[in-house]
Parts: sequence; C-alpha cells; structure tokens
Amino acid sequence: MQVKPTNQLINTTPVFEVFTEDEIEAIYYSALRVLYETGVRVYCMEGVDLAHSGGAIVEDVTEDSALVKIPPWMVDRARATLPRKVTIVGPDRKYRMELYKNQIYFGTGSDTPFTIDPYTGERRRATYEDVKNFARLAEALPNIDFHMSLGIVQDRAVGTYDRWQYLAMLEGTNKPINITAVDMEGVRDQFEMALIRVGGKEEWKKGPIFSLYIEPVSPLSHSKEVVEKLLFAADNDIPFVYTPCPLAGATAPSTLAGTAVQALTESLFGIVLSQLRKPGAQVIIGGLMSNMDMHTTVYCYGSPEMALLSAGYTQITKWLEVPMYETAGCSDAKVFDEQAAMEAAINIATAALVGGNMIHDVGYLEQGLTSSMEMMVASDEIIDMVKRILRGIPISDEDLALDVMAEVGPGGHYLEHDHTYERFRTHIWQPKLIDRRGWEDWVAAGSKTYGQRVHDRVIEILETETEPLLDEAMYKELRRICELADARHKDEELDMKMFG
Amino acid sequence: MSRVLERLSTAILEGDKDKAARLVERALDQGVPAKEILDNGLMPGMDEVGARFRRGDMFVPEVIMSADAMQAGLDLLRPHLVAGGVELVGKIVMGTVKGDLHDIGKNLVDMMCEGAGFEIVDLGFNVPPEAFVEAIKEHKPDIVGMSAMLTTTMRAMGYTIKAIEEAGLRDRVKIMVGGAPVDAEFAKRIGADGYGSNAATAVELAKQLISAN
Repeated sequence: MQVKPTNQLINTTPVFEVFTEDEIEAIYYSALRVLYETGVRVYCMEGVDLAHSGGAIVEDVTEDSALVKIPPWMVDRARATLPRKVTIVGPDRKYRMELYKNQIYFGTGSDTPFTIDPYTGERRRATYEDVKNFARLAEALPNIDFHMSLGIVQDRAVGTYDRWQYLAMLEGTNKPINITAVDMEGVRDQFEMALIRVGGKEEWKKGPIFSLYIEPVSPLSHSKEVVEKLLFAADNDIPFVYTPCPLAGATAPSTLAGTAVQALTESLFGIVLSQLRKPGAQVIIGGLMSNMDMHTTVYCYGSPEMALLSAGYTQITKWLEVPMYETAGCSDAKVFDEQAAMEAAINIATAALVGGNMIHDVGYLEQGLTSSMEMMVASDEIIDMVKRILRGIPISDEDLALDVMAEVGPGGHYLEHDHTYERFRTHIWQPKLIDRRGWEDWVAAGSKTYGQRVHDRVIEILETETEPLLDEAMYKELRRICELADARHKDEELDMKMFG
Repeated sequence: MSRVLERLSTAILEGDKDKAARLVERALDQGVPAKEILDNGLMPGMDEVGARFRRGDMFVPEVIMSADAMQAGLDLLRPHLVAGGVELVGKIVMGTVKGDLHDIGKNLVDMMCEGAGFEIVDLGFNVPPEAFVEAIKEHKPDIVGMSAMLTTTMRAMGYTIKAIEEAGLRDRVKIMVGGAPVDAEFAKRIGADGYGSNAATAVELAKQLISAN
C-alpha cells in the first residue's frame, strides 16, 4: 500500500468552473429581480391568464399581449415541483439520456436551411433524403447520443415539413430525438406519430421518445406559438427545451453576465408557467447564448464567448437542479475546414469539461445556416478525444504502478509487461481518423488530409447498407400523418412556388 | 471648407449626437446653406465611418452611434432642404413580416440606412401584408424592406409582395428582403428586387435600388 487515503478528495474527471457559488447566486437573484420588476411580454392570453391566476402581476395589456411580472415566491413554488431529472429514450429503449447534473450527451442541431452535399460539395437547400442521411449518420456515430433534424426538409410542403423531418429521422435513427415544430398542428401531428411509433400513451409515459424544442424570443418576449407549445407539452408529458437565443450586444447586454441574467429570466418564466399548468412538467433550459459579431452582425457559433457563456450557464443550471441544453460542435466556417475543426474542438471540450447535459448543434456550420456531414463525423472524433480527458487520471495503487516500476527497474521497458497489456486499451486513447503515421507511410496511404479522411468516412457510412428501422406497416402509418397534413395545407402552397 | 463643417464631420465620426445637432444649428446660424452642411459636414463624416467600418477599424455599435448623430443633424436640416428643393436620399418602409417577432436584423438595417441618409418608416414586427400596403399608400416610400428570421415566416414575404401587386402598387416601390434563411435565389423567386445578406450590404442595395429608379 503506497497511498494512505485519509479524507482524500478525488477528481474522477477534471473540473472546469467559470463561476463560484456566490456568483451563480448573484446571477440567479438578479434574474428574479428582472422577472419581477422588468417583467416579460407574453403574446398568448391563455398564458397571461394562467400566470395571473398563479399570482403574477399583469400590466400594459394590449390586444394580443401583456407585460407579466412574476414575484420571486412564484419561482420558488415552481422549482419545488420541477423535475430535477428528465429521461428521454429511443423508440426501442436501447438508447437513453438521463439528464441531470453532470451527465453529458452530445447531439446534433436542427433546421438549417442549407446543407453541403456530401458528394458534390455544393451548398444547397436541404431535402428529405438529406435529413434521413444525417439521421443514419447519427445512428452510426457512437458519440452522438440524441438527434435533431440537420436540415429543413424543403422538398415537401412548407407548412408541414416538420412532420416529414420527424419521419426522416425515425427512418434513420433509433436514438432519442429533439424535435422542432412549425406550429401547434405540427406538434400534435408529431406527437401522434411518436405515440404510434412507441405504442400508445402509456408507453410514452414510461419513457418519452422525443423532447420538443421551444424558443422564446429575446429580449424577454414569449410569442403565442411558444406559449401554446409549452402548455401542450406540459399537458401531454412531453419534455421540452425552453431555450432562448440571446445575442450579446444586440438582443441582450454585451456583457456576458448580463446575457446570462436575461437568458435565465426568459427560461424561468417558462419554468413558472409550465409548473402552473401541470406540476411536474419536464423542462430543460439553457440554449444558445453567444455574441453578435460586431463587424458582420452574424450570430457567432464558434466564438470563445459562446463556449464560455454556455459553460457558465451550465453551472447555473446545476445549481438550480434543472437539466441543461448546451451548445457545441458548431462553427462559423462555411465548409468543414481548419476553422471548423478548431472552433468545434474548443467548444466541445469546454462543454464537456463543465458537464452540461444535452449538448446540441454538432454538425452546424455558417452560424447554423448550413449542416455538414463532415463536421458531424469530425466532431464525433473530437468528442471521443475529449471523453478520454474526462476519464481523468485515476490514482489507485494499480494506477500508480509502483510495484511494476520496481519490477522493471532502471533501464528496462514496459512493453511486454502484463500491466501494460491489460491496461493500454482503456488508458491510452486510440484515434480513428486522426493520423499518427510517419511521413512515408502517410504518403503511401495517399497523402490524405484530415478533411479528406473525414469525407471518406462520411461516404463509407452513407454507402453501408443498414436494416430499415421501421417495418413497412409502421412506415406507412407514420407517412399517412404527413400526407394528411400536406392535404390540409395544399391550398396555401399551390399559389406560391417559393422554394422551387 | 469652413471650420464648423469640419467639426461637424468629426462629431459624426465620434458619434456625438448632441454636438452634431449643436454644430448644424451653428452652421445654419452662420448662414451656411443646408445643402452644403449636408454635403460637406454630415456626409464626409459618415463616409469616413463607412470606410473605417469596411476596414474593420470601426464596429457596428460605433457605426450606429454615428448614424444617430447623422440623423440628429439631418432632422434639423430636413425642413431647410425640403424648402430649398433638395432631394433627400430616399424613403424606406421597413418591417418584419407577419408571424415573426424577430426584429434585431431589421433594426440594424434601419439604423445603418439612416446613417446613409435614408428616411425610415419602421412598421415594427409581425406586420401583416395589409399593413405594408397601407404604409405604401400613406408614406409613398421609394423602397419597401422586409425581414424574416424563420423558414416558416419567410413565406410571408412572398404573400406580402403578392398583396402589394394586387393593390396595384408594385411598380411604385422597389422591394428588398433579408433575414437568416433568405438567399438571393429565394428573393428572386418571390419577385423581390434585391436581397441583402447583412445590414451593410442592405444599405448598398438600397442605394443601388434608388439610383436605378
């Protein structure tokens, strides 16, 4: 025995912290003040009434909105019934996310208008086939734990594309899904599809197979559709992500602390309203918090501020004991290039080290306007690499290996020692696409850059035949809901061929 | 160039609204013609702002402050310019289309266009097609600018253009569109006259649309 573990504090993973507890409290209590004194504007009278009946102050009522002010005690009451853990599973329950405290799960982002064609490299509007292929990629990549529609399906009707996206994803993956919906009808249709897929309401209750993405508008505005989605989700035991996208310097203060306060205020309103509607409603907060680039005015996805703010906010959610929706695996680069890899590596490492729960937007390029299969495959390897760092350096007697050192002694080697043989696979990370060959071997293998190797892997996954995840009857039933939606929306699409 | 106009240019460059207004008043008091104050005081300042912005020496919040200062000066000059028969750059009716509450992009375009001397009538967000039509009748703008942030709401741009056509007003205005999911191809397809990928290009586009008139 070489170590005497008396009151020994062990880090099983490295720890990264942005805020101290006092700083977190300062942000939280500031948010309570904003919610109480500045208030939020709510564009849904049903939501306004619900808040009012629960104790909120309602002022400045217009035809379609009101200013709602929530006293701190209402937040305390809501937090008392807010689930601290949310579970989302895949349709066959094999894949699951148990969202609480330090459990990390990486997943893709959603609804990019454009995608980069994996064969031609062309940037074009996304189609059903693209969304399905991204889902197949998600299924194949071990470090993707949940999936979102990496592309807006634009070869189907505009008002109903969300159902097609869900179908395309269900065709491609059995992992948990975070859906988006164009409107309330879209939420209802996709919920119906999910119930068919999972086998009814009771099965859903045992483990919901999707969460619903809901995005209030910064600063401090909650649109009609947003509130209606929240109420429907609460009523139907659908976990939902209530996530604003404040833009520091434009739709939020340019100071990151100010942005965190505002984002928290926006999400706390969602928490309060959901618990008033149904105590126990499952909420995930967080979101995309970043800065506006003050030269191009774009929303930065690859900035250090994005990674830092996301990490700081994760600590706040851990303190609040509410699951966190983080952001990483994304970049402002236009194609998967050195910038994309660099930004993704930084934000993935930061997100993982701080320990957020649902870490989304893997595969995003160009500020979330374009999806990239190369970015997704590369991020999968970055995540793998970071997970090695997260496993830390254990210091058991076996790990310290003093006996082995004594045995080998000065001048010996460890290559043929059992200690090495038994441990190297778990202790030394083995890359898949990263190249560690010497120059001659690398040239002999075709002198391929990382980007080329990632591309090859994308094509390999796409061209590997896989068993269909939906049997024919199931596929037809799900497709029928999409087609019925199309039929209902036929007229409004016929007169305008806007999307080509 | 007179000293007061030089100082006015500097006030614009520094984004000092109060100083800009004071200097415009002083120049008017000194009997400098409004057109000269505009051309040799306000515009050179704003041109320098534009040049520095393109070089990356000035950033959006600073440009906006300068645009505000420019507007403060222009507000004082406008009655004199109109009385003197001087043509202003142009008028733009702007709005985020129906169903969409996202207005930061539109607000940026507003401010940058004001900086370039345009008069802006901002209809706000969630603006229905009828409101655009009414605003064209009421304000007689040279340009209508529309913004949308979502693929679902970008359709409303097409519907709005259709409503403008149906009201018989399409040939009276140029239409420019923008917003995250919009691109030039989409703008063409719905019958807009131009697409701006960001606030700075929107200003250039507005100038082009005006000069094409």
